[in-house]
Amino acid sequence: MDTINQGPSERLALLIDLERCTGCKSCEAACKTEHRLGPGEYRNKVVWASALEEAGLAFLTLTCQHCERPACLRACPVNPKAIAKDPLTGIVRVDESRCTGCGECVIACPYSAMGYDAKGHHAVKCDLCTERRAEGDATTACASVCPTQAIRFGKRDELLADARASGRLPRDQDHFLLGPATIYLERTTPRNTATPTAITPARAHPGESRRPSFIDGLAAQTAVQAQTPSFPYGESRADTAPDRVVPGGCNICFNCCTVKFHFKNNKLIKITGNEDDPLLKGRVCPKSQLTLQMYHSEHRLLYPQKRVGARGEGKFERISWDQALDEIADKLKIIRDQYGAEALAMFIGTRTGILDYRATTKMFAQLFGTPNKDGTDPFCASGKNVAFELTLGSIGSGNSYTENDLGSAELYVYIGDNQAETRPVYFGMINDWRIKNGAKMVAVDPRLTATASKADRWLPIRPGTDMALGLALAQHIIANNLHDAQYCADWVLGFEQWRDFILHKQYTPEWAEQATGIAAADIKRLAEEIAAADGCVIFASRGVNQHTNSTQTNRVLMFVSAITGNWGRRGGAFFNMSAGTPIAAKVPEHRAPKINKQRVRRSPAGWTEAMLHGMPYPIRALITCNNPLAQWPGQAKAREAFAALDLMVHIELFANETSAFADYLLPAASGIEKGEIGRSNDDRRIVWIDKMIDPPGEAKSDTWIWIELGKRFGFDDVLKDKYKDPAVFWDEVCIDSDGLRGCTQKRLHSVPYRWVRQPVATEDAPEIETLFLEGTTVPNGAPGRRFPTKSGKLEFWTDELEAKFNVLGLSALPEFYSEREQLVDLPYMELLETDAEAGVISPFCSPATGSARGRIVAPGPDHPGIKLRAQGFDTELVTGRPPAAHFHSWTHYFWQSQEMWPDLYCQIHPDKAAKLGINDGDRVQVESAHGRIEAMAWVHAGIRPTAVFIPIGWGERQPYNPWRPVNFLTDSTQRDPVSDQTNLKVLLCRVSRA
Amino acid sequence: MLNCPQPFWTALILQRHDLPDARLLQLTAAAVIAVILWFVIRGLLPEAWRSPGSPELYLAGVAGVLLLLVPVAFVIAKRGGSGANPVNWFNAHVLCSLIGMVLIVIHSGGFLRRPPALLLLALIALAALGVWARIRGSRRMAATFASKAPGFTVPDAATRDRLRVLIAEKRTLLLQLDPQANEGTFSVNLPHFMRSPGLALAYRKLAREESLLLGSRAAVSAKQAWWRPLHMALAWLFVLGVVIHVVTVTFFAGYVADGGPINWWHLRAWGG
Repeated sequence: MDTINQGPSERLALLIDLERCTGCKSCEAACKTEHRLGPGEYRNKVVWASALEEAGLAFLTLTCQHCERPACLRACPVNPKAIAKDPLTGIVRVDESRCTGCGECVIACPYSAMGYDAKGHHAVKCDLCTERRAEGDATTACASVCPTQAIRFGKRDELLADARASGRLPRDQDHFLLGPATIYLERTTPRNTATPTAITPARAHPGESRRPSFIDGLAAQTAVQAQTPSFPYGESRADTAPDRVVPGGCNICFNCCTVKFHFKNNKLIKITGNEDDPLLKGRVCPKSQLTLQMYHSEHRLLYPQKRVGARGEGKFERISWDQALDEIADKLKIIRDQYGAEALAMFIGTRTGILDYRATTKMFAQLFGTPNKDGTDPFCASGKNVAFELTLGSIGSGNSYTENDLGSAELYVYIGDNQAETRPVYFGMINDWRIKNGAKMVAVDPRLTATASKADRWLPIRPGTDMALGLALAQHIIANNLHDAQYCADWVLGFEQWRDFILHKQYTPEWAEQATGIAAADIKRLAEEIAAADGCVIFASRGVNQHTNSTQTNRVLMFVSAITGNWGRRGGAFFNMSAGTPIAAKVPEHRAPKINKQRVRRSPAGWTEAMLHGMPYPIRALITCNNPLAQWPGQAKAREAFAALDLMVHIELFANETSAFADYLLPAASGIEKGEIGRSNDDRRIVWIDKMIDPPGEAKSDTWIWIELGKRFGFDDVLKDKYKDPAVFWDEVCIDSDGLRGCTQKRLHSVPYRWVRQPVATEDAPEIETLFLEGTTVPNGAPGRRFPTKSGKLEFWTDELEAKFNVLGLSALPEFYSEREQLVDLPYMELLETDAEAGVISPFCSPATGSARGRIVAPGPDHPGIKLRAQGFDTELVTGRPPAAHFHSWTHYFWQSQEMWPDLYCQIHPDKAAKLGINDGDRVQVESAHGRIEAMAWVHAGIRPTAVFIPIGWGERQPYNPWRPVNFLTDSTQRDPVSDQTNLKVLLCRVSRA
Repeated sequence: MLNCPQPFWTALILQRHDLPDARLLQLTAAAVIAVILWFVIRGLLPEAWRSPGSPELYLAGVAGVLLLLVPVAFVIAKRGGSGANPVNWFNAHVLCSLIGMVLIVIHSGGFLRRPPALLLLALIALAALGVWARIRGSRRMAATFASKAPGFTVPDAATRDRLRVLIAEKRTLLLQLDPQANEGTFSVNLPHFMRSPGLALAYRKLAREESLLLGSRAAVSAKQAWWRPLHMALAWLFVLGVVIHVVTVTFFAGYVADGGPINWWHLRAWGG
């Protein structure tokens, strides 16, 4: 550091570690919440410390540098200055009462770290949370929440000493001899070299800092800034000082963060992380904090409404709850009488909460007598769920995010899992262990995601070919005797059959290179690393799941974990997102009418023929609790099908695309407005959220709505009125299983972080850090039964499994196939029955569910890919989750999520963009064989040159920056016959400037 | 002082009273309407209200100039160290400028093809620029956060060397200009210019060079970077124009009248 003055020893500073920062923007959320800043006002902001042309993502939080020689202070023309520097701590602060808003300080700061309040006309800047710390907090708001511990606050000298002691180097960003106090730690040196197809994420000294153009687009940001943000933004500190703090959890995503809700006069004023949680330690992603904007949103639905215009027009009139529920019940009775109970379909998204998803709605469906009830699983996770059930006998790995368990691994392999943006806090823990323990990390993904940017190697795989990679890894391990033979002999059933199959098929790394685009040498190297590691954790997720080969790919990757002994040990696991929540809500047998017909299909996307044409039988009514008209693949057909229904009821927080098609729109409560448990998460934590406030207007909890609707059918002897209290419902109905029996309200409330890790069979049973360890027995299992399968072993192949797969025309031994829409001709899955046909009863589903049989088609002259490519569809379309501030539709109603990520974007490689004449920030048109949408171009070298990526979640009726959802480009008929999972990860498309 | 507790009344005086955009637009609209109204009804008014030299319009001009002295006072209060609340002074400068502008327009009597009309033009440009800066420029200021590349580019050795020399020169100069001051937090202000204009100018020159090397002004849009220097330059041009106007109408009345009658009231009344 080349500074003029030696800073005082009491000088305070932030330390920002580029090796840890994933650009999640949690710090931005915390800062705005702490200082009640509105749209466009910043004290910190995430920037990309790498040029777009580089295949690297190096993020950093830009904030005031608290310079020794602050250019801002010297530029201030006011006398005495409106900016002052504390001689002891070095903190540079703005005295807003003296600031005339001339902006000279904003212009003068070469780091552009001086903010400006465009409404209040004065400079704003980071003061290292001086007031917050004066009130007793030990650290700054940004550092307190950072999911990856990338931000630390303290005395500058001590922070520097710590960094140097751990061998880390501070960046030299004192280019202008201003003596910046903020410390940025350089990324670490790459430990490995890679072959040309594998790319080492950029770790060199980053070039200029910048952000993708579309994020700061004038129109997009104006849309956010034009609306006055709701309470408590702009309020004084005194008016938002909490008088009560209640622990609870975030109800949005699978990280299921524990949080604290801060109240003043019973009004929610702030949501922070819960530092009393021994696991997450107060770290939260931006979403948890931004739910404050859901609770105070001016966009919330406030009262029941009835459609008065045409379907899709969005015209409604206000009605009472009694009228709404009476009329819905009357119409349902008519439909039931005319078509049968199964003519009612229920699509229950996870927005509704796990309690309602797994308990209330399940009970209602059983009482009503319809099998046609499902959620988002077949769009996200049904393939991995089936694979887990077949292989392990239960869902989830059994490992925990603890130092002893996952923290002790030597190798982390991410395959199609962008954990840094989908479960940011969990990733922060993994990345911390990687850095501290020197563990290796490899990311396999078509994109250089935030996760891949932290890895030692990024393998940019062709989307849809993870199965080929898994097979080749296994082949190389087995062929070279690198597997754990003793483990396979003791704990794997059907290993020999599978081994022989793999070897017979010659699924070699050289073979896989053609399919995956990954060099054989890299596949071999990865296989050898997995086999050699004393603890390897393979993380897979939607990138693996959302394919027609979902179940088999998951199984193959599970097998790779198992044969290397990485199952049932500390530091070794196969993970695929959430572990599931074994809620045991059941209707007494005598109260559930016999269901005479099969569920049409497991995937709701397979219900459209029943809605449109009554095939294989009619579905005439739909009750839905989220936003299928942005979420379902094949939007054009889904909208046509919804328009054909006799009755559609939508239970929601915000009016969206689906609402416009509804006959009745019912306002729902969420999170602390109703009380519930958090989402199912990776490490089996049940997080309880108390009801703390009343919902807005006349909104009601989903449970209240189902119980009240149930009363109109006489279901109230089962769906009892007292269950409207979620705590009563939980204790009396939900936990009657070995896994949850000990997870009572009493136990959940006995800890200040409100979670218990299941399984806990009794209230005083200890939590189990790692399940299935050698020498242990599954709960209620016979002695020696280590795994919860029938055999007590991991099941790769059995006669029973083979018979099940044969029902669908398949084999239990996973044979490679990919998707029909590819740039190269690979085997693909052809379904032998359409959704209009009954098909066969799937052996993988309960209740009885119709399924198409499948056939693996070898490449040939009639390959669908050839025809599509001839039509100019020359690009791989990958869809998926947007960055951490968004989750499906609902965050698009939070102004700050929209400020962070405003527009629908299309990530495109610079080479492809140049060829098409597309610049960063241009509006582009993307067309597939199934539809057309527009988006903003994000030119980024961190994606396969042949692919584009477009995220889910945007919709046409959102309040800030509406866009047609990406599911206009997807196809509802490309599904996995085993799990009914839809392919959402590779479709051919063409891109042009709009 | 940032953290000192203050008595209630002091706090009230020092409380920041921001002029919201809506209020500024209302004031501006009122000024524009007043000017338009003046032009509409001007033909219907008595002769005295159409002649810039009449007592009525002379007084309007004087009142306008007096009001336009408030922005000058704002500059002094803001930079001189005497203004307790610069924000209130800012608000006064806006309000008085707008009213002053209306009075000057009235004073012009609608004669827009003569040289003094340039002063009107400067006034209107000043007002327009000020309103733009407050309404639109503010958004640009806000959007500047995290938008500049130079702060994180690879350091340039030559720039650093030149900066090192500059800083040393500034420190040397500062020993004479303000020995108690710390170079790192110091900038020249009005009292320095009053006390030691030569040193202050020399220091300002070095500071300018340092600023150029930082490139921070060049890193923002031209509008954002230069609206304020332009605003100030126009203001000084206006002041200069007023002085010229007063001098010429007073001492070179015949030249100004260009052969016509010298009918401005103060010269007739007081003798010129």
